[in-house]
Amino acid sequence: MDSILTLRQECRIAIRIAGIRLRGQMAYPASFWMQIFSSFVIHAAEILALLAMFNRFNDMGGWTLGEVAFLHGISMTAFSIGDTIAVGLDSVPNQIREGEFDRVLIRPLSSWIQTVVSEVSLRHLGQCAQGLVILGFALTWTDIQWTLQKALFMPVVIATGVALFVALFTLVAILSFWTVNSIEVVNAFTYGGSDLAQFPLHIFDRWMRNLFLFVIPVGFTAYYPALYILGKDDPLGMPDTFRFLGPVVTAGFCLVVAWGWNQGIRHYRSTGS
Amino acid sequence: MRIYFELALRAFRQLFAYQAAMLAGIFTNSVFGVMLSAVYLALFRSHADGTSVEGFSARETVTYVWIGQALIAPVMIWGWWEIIKTIRTGAIVTDMLKPLSFFGFWLSRDLGRAMGHLLLRGVPTLIIGALFYDLVYPGTPGRWLAFLVSIPFAVIVSFCFRFIINLWGFWVLDHRGIAGIAIVIVGVASGHLLPIAWYPNAFRDVLNMLPFRAIVMLPVEIWLGQVGIVEGLGLQVFWILVMTAAAHWLQSVAERKVVVQGG
Repeated sequence: MDSILTLRQECRIAIRIAGIRLRGQMAYPASFWMQIFSSFVIHAAEILALLAMFNRFNDMGGWTLGEVAFLHGISMTAFSIGDTIAVGLDSVPNQIREGEFDRVLIRPLSSWIQTVVSEVSLRHLGQCAQGLVILGFALTWTDIQWTLQKALFMPVVIATGVALFVALFTLVAILSFWTVNSIEVVNAFTYGGSDLAQFPLHIFDRWMRNLFLFVIPVGFTAYYPALYILGKDDPLGMPDTFRFLGPVVTAGFCLVVAWGWNQGIRHYRSTGS
Repeated sequence: MRIYFELALRAFRQLFAYQAAMLAGIFTNSVFGVMLSAVYLALFRSHADGTSVEGFSARETVTYVWIGQALIAPVMIWGWWEIIKTIRTGAIVTDMLKPLSFFGFWLSRDLGRAMGHLLLRGVPTLIIGALFYDLVYPGTPGRWLAFLVSIPFAVIVSFCFRFIINLWGFWVLDHRGIAGIAIVIVGVASGHLLPIAWYPNAFRDVLNMLPFRAIVMLPVEIWLGQVGIVEGLGLQVFWILVMTAAAHWLQSVAERKVVVQGG
């Protein structure tokens, strides 16, 4: 689809719409803070369970508490930011079911951007705060040999994780162009993928490792970068370049998803009700 | 009594209409079962001394994981806000006017739903776990029976807690804050996130004295033979009595607070 607007104009409009939605949400400040608090508390339980686990065991597949906590921190932070960006994509199945997606298609703004800003909610930032807290603890519990490269790599790792999760949520939305039923199955891959990324990849069975490395590449955005920053050996014996492949693999994954989105738009038939 | 049975039966039958959702649920619970099994097995692999940790061997822990996944839907670990919805829409008034016990009306429907979830989601999930992992099974027919009895008991305790926190809606219309806290309490104190025995000793002792243990941990303990049948089921009955009384008391307080919404 040819766009009338330049990318810069599209982004400016998107940011304005997002700002409007955000102000709408802030009209109910008590509710807003309640949601953030709720998301923070729910994920505190995960951390509590992790701490208790290491109260009874010394290590997990050769990883210490600090190292697993580091993995938890980067995964939770990336997932929650990705989830925050992608909230609007959750509504695609409903929009399609109710025939409202037609309206998206007649507006001269990228359908994906419109969908993303169709709902803006900061409720997942409670989880992000939790992720940053556990990351902070992880940094004091581990003895990372920091170098300039590693320090510069950290924001890249988080950004790649965010991009990958946004792409995954987009993938779920794409599927709804073909079927609006039983999309819950895909939750096993989005939420499952984010949970799996919180643990060292080598503890999982081979089929699961391959799935979350070569099909849904969360291993490239959490485990391998963590190996590099923590300075650990790879028990799976993959090439050292794997540690830096995250951005490349994610870019490739995003391209495939973008192509899929356009195919989905082309396949879309209005419900006509 | 007959009317409550009919209500339960209808809630039970209703679930059979959503087959795709059931399959999706089984799939998700199984994926998490596989994932959590791997996490626990990794902990045990590098565990130097002995095979058992606070009464759990590696096999018993994997069994705990799969029973836990199978129970997620029946006992509604992630919360349930049906009553709050009726408070918000105002439908609660007609429910309260019905010539039935308000508590019994919701409990019977929840038990019907739970049995449907047990049959359609719980049992298949546990079978998948049994096919792929070397699980531990109850040694005697008596234990099998006790486990089966412990599940409706677990559902009733979980229902009482959900009923109580739904009544919160009489005071506050936005339930999301309390929902977050409730998920954490149930997740941790029921033993869903981690076996209760593995928490630090003082914390574990407190959790063992709370009603939430009856929701996940007691059925697991009965299955694994970690608790006597009479003691396990007796504790569940005790909590059913306490929680039911608490729910009724809170309901009587809440009824005086009714403010009709909607219209």
